[in-house]
Amino acid sequence: MIRVRGLRKVYRIGTEKVAALGGIDLDIPKGEFCCIVGASGSGKSTLLNQLAGLEKPTKGSVTINGQTISDMNENQLAVFRQNNLGFVFQSYNLLPTMTAVENVALPLMFKGISKRKREKLAKEQLKQMGLGKRIRHKPTEMSGGQQQRVGIARAFVGKPKVIFADEPTGNLDSKTTVEVMNTILQMVRKYHITFVMVTHERDLSAYADRIITLKDGQILSDEYPKKQSQGELAQQAAAAPEQPMQNNLPQQEQDPGAAPEPFEANPTQQTAPEQNNETPGQKVPVADEMEKESKTDE
Amino acid sequence: MRITDLVSLCFENLRRRKGRTALTVIGVMVGTCAIVVMVSLGIAMNVGFDEMIASYGDLTKITVYNWGGTDVKMDDKAVAQMQAMDHVTIATPIYTARYLSGQIFSGKNDRYAMQLYNVVGMYPEAIKALEYELISGEYLPDSGKSTAKKDTIQVLMGQYAGYGFTDTKKTGSNASRWQGQTDSHGNPLDPFVNVEKDKMLLRTSVQDETDTSLKKLEYNIQVCGVMKEDYQKGYVTSAGVIMDLNVLKRLENEYIKANKIKVTDTNNGYDQVVVKVDDIDNVQAVEEAIKELGFSTDSMNSWRESMQQQSQSIQMILGGLGAISLFVAALSIANTMTMAIYERTREIGVMKVLGCRLPKIRQMFLIEAGMIGFLGGLIGIAVSYTLSFLMNHFAPVLMSTGLGNILPMYGTKVSVIPIWLALAGLGFATVIGLLSGVMPANRAVKISALEAIRHE
Repeated sequence: MIRVRGLRKVYRIGTEKVAALGGIDLDIPKGEFCCIVGASGSGKSTLLNQLAGLEKPTKGSVTINGQTISDMNENQLAVFRQNNLGFVFQSYNLLPTMTAVENVALPLMFKGISKRKREKLAKEQLKQMGLGKRIRHKPTEMSGGQQQRVGIARAFVGKPKVIFADEPTGNLDSKTTVEVMNTILQMVRKYHITFVMVTHERDLSAYADRIITLKDGQILSDEYPKKQSQGELAQQAAAAPEQPMQNNLPQQEQDPGAAPEPFEANPTQQTAPEQNNETPGQKVPVADEMEKESKTDE
Repeated sequence: MRITDLVSLCFENLRRRKGRTALTVIGVMVGTCAIVVMVSLGIAMNVGFDEMIASYGDLTKITVYNWGGTDVKMDDKAVAQMQAMDHVTIATPIYTARYLSGQIFSGKNDRYAMQLYNVVGMYPEAIKALEYELISGEYLPDSGKSTAKKDTIQVLMGQYAGYGFTDTKKTGSNASRWQGQTDSHGNPLDPFVNVEKDKMLLRTSVQDETDTSLKKLEYNIQVCGVMKEDYQKGYVTSAGVIMDLNVLKRLENEYIKANKIKVTDTNNGYDQVVVKVDDIDNVQAVEEAIKELGFSTDSMNSWRESMQQQSQSIQMILGGLGAISLFVAALSIANTMTMAIYERTREIGVMKVLGCRLPKIRQMFLIEAGMIGFLGGLIGIAVSYTLSFLMNHFAPVLMSTGLGNILPMYGTKVSVIPIWLALAGLGFATVIGLLSGVMPANRAVKISALEAIRHE
């Protein structure tokens, strides 16, 4: 789904050149919930921006769904984003003058979908996220968690192939964080969407299929925590990858407010084992050491 | 993205910055108003000139003379040529018979008599077209449509033709009546003959009283209508007689025969032809075409031209003053839009990230700026019409104060706003709005999506 080759990004600060990303190779398969962690300044946001085509790489290529987005111009990118990408932001970035439903319908408006149809889709999406009563509210009339769920609804409404999230829970308290992450997880599984999230909260990576740790613009580690901790389930999943997810779905829908136990609830894994060998991050330190590092940084 | 969505988005954006939008719109309104009102003053001057000139004569009338010196004859063929020209409504000779003299008699035993003079022959169709007004009766029947007998001549008479009759039984001042004359009690005295009712007879006089072989000719006069006196049309409308050109020519020929006159002089055709043009603005072209034929022309046009040039330069100055204020308004639109972009940087960034294409972002800002221009223009036009109405209403007061010195009022109006001026004002304001939106719109397009959504 996402394929990164030799990705470098160099920023020029004054006369000095700072390498934010130093030659990254990465493959993220379809339907994977991928978490990019790292200390501030490790290049994780830069990587996300490159992946999403918000910034041009200095060198290397990013291919999503067979299309090399690093070669596209702004307009091609806009069209590509319309059809393939969704975004969740740390500060929600809802348009203050629009109601929840209008905000959610916005990406569909850019696609040229009629007002009636897009608002219907947006309403459905909001209802699914438990915001059925907030449809006509403006962002200022909602709590942070509600706003972020509107933001998530906006990302999902167009059923994109990939959703990028930059610190989606950065502005939320811990309880709301859990709610929001569960909502995301639920939607990602339901629609089988590739999800790439940047965070510096190590806890959140517990939701992920895969954790990529960055340091100084290099991949420090690339791990599949569920596979390690729950070897049996992973094997099951490998045997019949689609099966468990479909079984899980109705269960989640019936009980959206349930306490988050993402590990048990979603043992799905799409990743192929070979990928571990490919990623250069494998060579470098183990997860335990990493955890210490990132915590001290904070 | 649909255009309806784009427009409603723009509306929403303008609505949420109500105060600022209103101020900018007022700026444009003042600018539009300034231009429209200023130009309307100039136009009113032009209209005033036209009214003034029109009071001296018909603006669409060209009088054609043949001063000779060339081989060209101003005959029926030449008149037909003029008639065939573009924009010519009608062309007619104004013919005065060279060989015709006689008297018109009326009353018992031909007691009252009037010398036959000031007889004009022209195409009957032209009389109406040239706006000879009647106070009673009807116009002459069209050429060839007349049902009158050979010895009956249909005529139009001037308003005061009746005063031309004298009483042959009296002498001195009692023998004639004149307009405005009263008797000893102050009652007005009517002319001896009422041309509308009384029977009249035309009898030609003989050229040589001693030659008994010469005959006097007699015709009945049938007055079809009485013309309103109008000195622009000539003395004929006051005390003269107009008849069908062909009838007058027949009369003249019969007179020449009866008096055995030898016509010797070289005929240059008609002395004078009058051409009526459909519109003032075409007068010049027709005049030039007639000059090409070798004739001399005279019209109010040359005078009008120089006056228009004068008023045009005044209009330019006035319009220029107005343009300055619209230019200031344009700056304020550009300023408002630039401010809006700073405020909405984040929003623009979000839109870009969510897949809004760059041309749409540009269009969004252009439409917003254009709307400000359009709205300002629309209100400006409405205000201009109001101002124009007030100025015209209080024109005399205005003229007695200082304005009269700056803007001499030639006509009845100070300010005239034709529909084209209103539309041009509106279009101009909209275009100004769009133009001043170009720079901010380009700036919005250049905003980096990433920059815009960066965490605060």
